[in-house]
Amino acid sequence: MSHRAHRPQSFVDPKVLARLAGIGLHARTPMLGNVSGRHRSPIRGSSLEFAEYRKYVAGDDPRRLDWRAWGRSNRFYIKEFEADTNLRLCLIVDTSGSLNYAAGGASKLDLAKALAGTLAYLAANQGDAVGLYGAGTEFHTVIRPRRNAAHLRVVLEHIAALKAAGGTGLAETLHQAAESIGQRALVVILSDLFLEPDELGRCFQHLRFRKHDVAVFHLLDQSEIDFRFDRPTRFVDLEGGAAVLTDPLLVGRQYRQAMQRYLADLTTLVREAAVDYHRVNLGDAAGEVLSRFLIGRRPKLKK
Amino acid sequence: MSFLQPLILAALPLIALPVIIHLIHQRRHRTVPWAAMMFLLQAKRMNQGMARLRHLLILLMRMAAVGALIFALSRPLAGGWWGGIGMTEADATLILLDRSASMETQDLQTGESRRSTALGKLAALLDGERAGGRLVLIDSADDTVRTLESPRALADLPFTSATATSADLPGMLERAMAHLTANDAGRADVWICSDLAENDWDPGSGRWAAIREQFARLKGTRLFLLAYPQPPANNLSVRVANVSRHTTGKTAELSLDVEVRHGAGEGASGGTARHLPLEFEVNNVRSVVEVELDEQGASLQGHRLPIDAKLEAGWGSVAIPGDANPQDNRFHFVFAEPPVRRAVIVAEEAQAGEAFRLALAIPPEPGREHAAQVLSPARVGEIDWETTGMLIWQAPFPGELVADQIERFVSAGRVAMFWPPEGPDDGSLFGSHWTGWETAGETPAQLAWWRGEADLLGHVGNGDALPVDELKTYRWRALEGPGTVLARLANDQPLLVRAATDQGAVYFCATLPTARCSSLERDGVVFYAMLQRALTEGCRPLATASQREAGRGALGDRDDWSLVAPGGDAAALSQRGLQSAVFRSESGGNWAALNRPKAEDTAGPMPAATVDALFAGLPYQRIDDTVGNASPLAREIWRMFLLAMLVALIVEAVLCLPDRRVASKRTSEFAPATGAAG
Repeated sequence: MSHRAHRPQSFVDPKVLARLAGIGLHARTPMLGNVSGRHRSPIRGSSLEFAEYRKYVAGDDPRRLDWRAWGRSNRFYIKEFEADTNLRLCLIVDTSGSLNYAAGGASKLDLAKALAGTLAYLAANQGDAVGLYGAGTEFHTVIRPRRNAAHLRVVLEHIAALKAAGGTGLAETLHQAAESIGQRALVVILSDLFLEPDELGRCFQHLRFRKHDVAVFHLLDQSEIDFRFDRPTRFVDLEGGAAVLTDPLLVGRQYRQAMQRYLADLTTLVREAAVDYHRVNLGDAAGEVLSRFLIGRRPKLKK
Repeated sequence: MSFLQPLILAALPLIALPVIIHLIHQRRHRTVPWAAMMFLLQAKRMNQGMARLRHLLILLMRMAAVGALIFALSRPLAGGWWGGIGMTEADATLILLDRSASMETQDLQTGESRRSTALGKLAALLDGERAGGRLVLIDSADDTVRTLESPRALADLPFTSATATSADLPGMLERAMAHLTANDAGRADVWICSDLAENDWDPGSGRWAAIREQFARLKGTRLFLLAYPQPPANNLSVRVANVSRHTTGKTAELSLDVEVRHGAGEGASGGTARHLPLEFEVNNVRSVVEVELDEQGASLQGHRLPIDAKLEAGWGSVAIPGDANPQDNRFHFVFAEPPVRRAVIVAEEAQAGEAFRLALAIPPEPGREHAAQVLSPARVGEIDWETTGMLIWQAPFPGELVADQIERFVSAGRVAMFWPPEGPDDGSLFGSHWTGWETAGETPAQLAWWRGEADLLGHVGNGDALPVDELKTYRWRALEGPGTVLARLANDQPLLVRAATDQGAVYFCATLPTARCSSLERDGVVFYAMLQRALTEGCRPLATASQREAGRGALGDRDDWSLVAPGGDAAALSQRGLQSAVFRSESGGNWAALNRPKAEDTAGPMPAATVDALFAGLPYQRIDDTVGNASPLAREIWRMFLLAMLVALIVEAVLCLPDRRVASKRTSEFAPATGAAG
């Protein structure tokens, strides 16, 4: 199966794809695929990767006996090998209005599209299934993971068609994904995570309970953390809420306090839920972010 | 507070500039699409207390800085009594200067006295403050109200120089009041410079109520009291209580009673006794005697100084080493043979005449020559007016010729005392005349009120009152005419009246000393004291040497007296009699030693509450100053406002500083967390 015939969308940079193709997308935990692939499986199989010795029990296939071990120890052992399987990559993109935030350049949604598209392409290119969830009250998309060439095009087209508007449906989408996707998938969340940490924590725990490998790209601009404005400003809610007219000099300190408290809670939350958390600034290049992400997930070489 | 550049104060509305800029700033807002609204809304909820207060303080500091800058540019003038002087100019400024001896208390380092300090400060203040308006000086030693050309002349005028007199502050205020009323002054500032000495202010006087009432009616008049109430440290005063000349054979000597006293409020706290040298100077011969000074001071009784036997009259002085007040460090005295205490009694009733003669026959001082002559009204021509000290007239008022004679007699400083005749009397003298006799009935009339603090019925030397309340009056003859009532019966009839005269004294007594009319002769003490006091006063002009209290009128005809001591430049003629000095009359060879009144040595300052009570209800501002204090009453204080502006700006800057913790975290906050768990 080859996907080279598909031209990547404009939000996917071919140079980035070429650079990242050599790193590959790995799962941190064993995946449960339906075909043979390049990822570890919780089920023993017939790959070249030795898994363990097990005592022979009646009923085992005698062909799997390790005769060398019998020769050394005069005992019967079965030699087991790990099974290699593919993974199912579920991209969950927040499509709430707040993703339209842009600090002078590309918006959060543009960055999310670039990250999601590149990951989809990389996954499909190594034979993994790719699915897409659009998490928003107005734009809600569900494309279940599949691993054929035509499906990648569908996914990329849907990514390109994503629009940010209205409120966020991230929490509902995460719960829905946790239940609808079969166990042991790679779930990648691309969002600004403007939810109460408690609610977000429940979503992560749900995903982890279903043995999914959860990764989060937290799209947050530095200007949202610093809140440096020098004169009264009318802040228009991108998610459709009421606008707020205020003097940043008056509320700046309290804003920053609230933001720091939120970030501290979020850090605790992702550590407790073992979430692969990456905070992404709008000024960061998608290639750099994904490079760090992919390298961080490469399996450690066994000594 | 006043300002040298008051026009700049028109810019005061600029204080609102920070608020206006703030409001404009609020209106010129920009619109920003914002994603992290949840934090913004949280911040708005949190911004209810201290942050809002901080912002208000920032605005306040900015307004204060602008205000302080405007005030600084307007060059404000102020003293320690902010707002005491209004920003508008008064139409008239009256200076009431206490020139009493106690005002000469000096700062030993600068040599400035209370009086000169006050004058200097007032001159500086008024020179800068009052470009126009009338400037009037009322000094305590003179009745004259003087208009000054410029406040700069205050320190150099003879009317503001040092004196050894006491002051009558109520009288000065009355004169100020009369001046303001007569000149319709409009807005007037009255400056009173005084050390608040109790004897000068006489806080118990009934005149204060009237003064308060009159000043309260004057709208636009403000009273400023520039006070020097701090008592001088370690001040001593010397005084000769008595001086007499004695001749023994071919030698003669002076006998002196000298007292040295601590200043008010001093000496009672104890301390070790020390020796004090007293320097005596008689006939240019000096001698020094040391006395031991204790808590009460020192006293030298009957100190004898040998003099030339041929020196029958002369002068001398006693001095102590210099201290805080130079006015009380020297006391002049004169000596001469005392005059004969001669009284003439003209009585139509022999019994009354005899009563007068008996009371006058016993002199209060043993050894003094005295004489009391009783004459009938027909023998008036036999009176030797020149050598007589007192005339007692108990007869119908005389004719015009004798009346003129009596008036000249009184004008020469003698005393005339009139008692009612038994018969009808249609005449009048000194504006007074007798009416009919009245009888008390079964119960004798007693005195309901009398003036005990001074004059004929005043308390005796040790402070005890005369037994005037025991006096009984059976018959009296009502008197009509002007005069000061010294004693009044229960039915409001005057018993003893003093007529107003420039010199000498004229008394009218409404009853007779005989038993038919009163108990004066029977009880004796009051009768004797009255007559002897009147005789002492009447004989004073007869003495060739007299100790007098410095003051206006102390010398009578000033032209007749020439200064003997101290040497140096003679005081201006108008100021003669006001300083401590010795004079000799060119006509009769009389001597007069002028010294400060005794009360100036001992009187302390009034308590602040007493002073406040005297001016209760009046627009009055008290400014306590210290002698020798060089700081002006009003000075430019723009530096203070400039400093206030700087402080306001610094506080504003501190309040505007961003939170350090947040600022320091900015760089580290965004380090991406990779692989939080795996």
